[in-house]
Amino acid sequence: MSSHSADPSAQIAELQKQVADLQARLARVEATPSAIPGLPLATSGTAQAGSGQVERVSMVVFSGTLDHAIAAFTIATAAAASGMEVEMFFTFWGFAALRDPKKSGQGKTLIGKMFSWMLPRGTRKLPLSQWNMGGAGAKMIRSIMQGRKVASVEELMAAAADLGVVINACEMSMGLMGIGQDELIDYPTLKVCGAATFIERASAGKVTLFI
Amino acid sequence: MSQKTLDARGKSCPMPIVALAKEARTLSKGQELVVLSDDEAFPNDVRAWCSKTGNHLLSVDKAEDHYRAQIRKEA
Repeated sequence: MSSHSADPSAQIAELQKQVADLQARLARVEATPSAIPGLPLATSGTAQAGSGQVERVSMVVFSGTLDHAIAAFTIATAAAASGMEVEMFFTFWGFAALRDPKKSGQGKTLIGKMFSWMLPRGTRKLPLSQWNMGGAGAKMIRSIMQGRKVASVEELMAAAADLGVVINACEMSMGLMGIGQDELIDYPTLKVCGAATFIERASAGKVTLFI
Repeated sequence: MSQKTLDARGKSCPMPIVALAKEARTLSKGQELVVLSDDEAFPNDVRAWCSKTGNHLLSVDKAEDHYRAQIRKEA
């Protein structure tokens, strides 16, 4: 238990008050549906609301660092667990997390070989975006997380796969960096796509994030 | 209806909610579930999850070293 929290019963009482207040406000809004045209009054499951928006989170994962990957997969699993569709789009440095350390690509160009060398090979090799200290920082955060029973990025990715989170790999980045599909992790819904797919998925969804 | 218990103690955000979502799939409508968690984010998160997924939060109580939420499956 962390020490920063106030008395839980006081917090609960405060939250109950807030809920009652919000319910009262919602009741007023529902009583006058014409006041806000197009506002969806029902929010059930993944059904399309009146505005045409889908219960979907679209996420660009651009960063190739452990802390960003933890944030991305924490939000992705929470959203999927809350009944939302989740589509992650990995591009540029984000590919580090999708590399399978057991696989290596064939027939690489010089640039491809350079990226192979420089880009971390899988989640276990990801650095921290701050305080990495030559990899000591990443090791330290993993050990702290383990001590606090926080799920590792590998566990989060397994949960994401289980919850049906879709991973899209940006074809353009793969071409630029000389990464082949044969080098990527085994993930049940991994697809190769382009920016138009992201735009199509994101524009119809409710939440879009760039990490 | 029978009541199930999910012990999510020892798990941190977002795993109690991930475990809850998984367990909720096995419930039928109207069935109740008790969830135990020692994650400090759990009281707010379980409320948010119920609100988002359309399930009913019957209660959240603080036991000695953990929280106990009672949920009724509605959706």
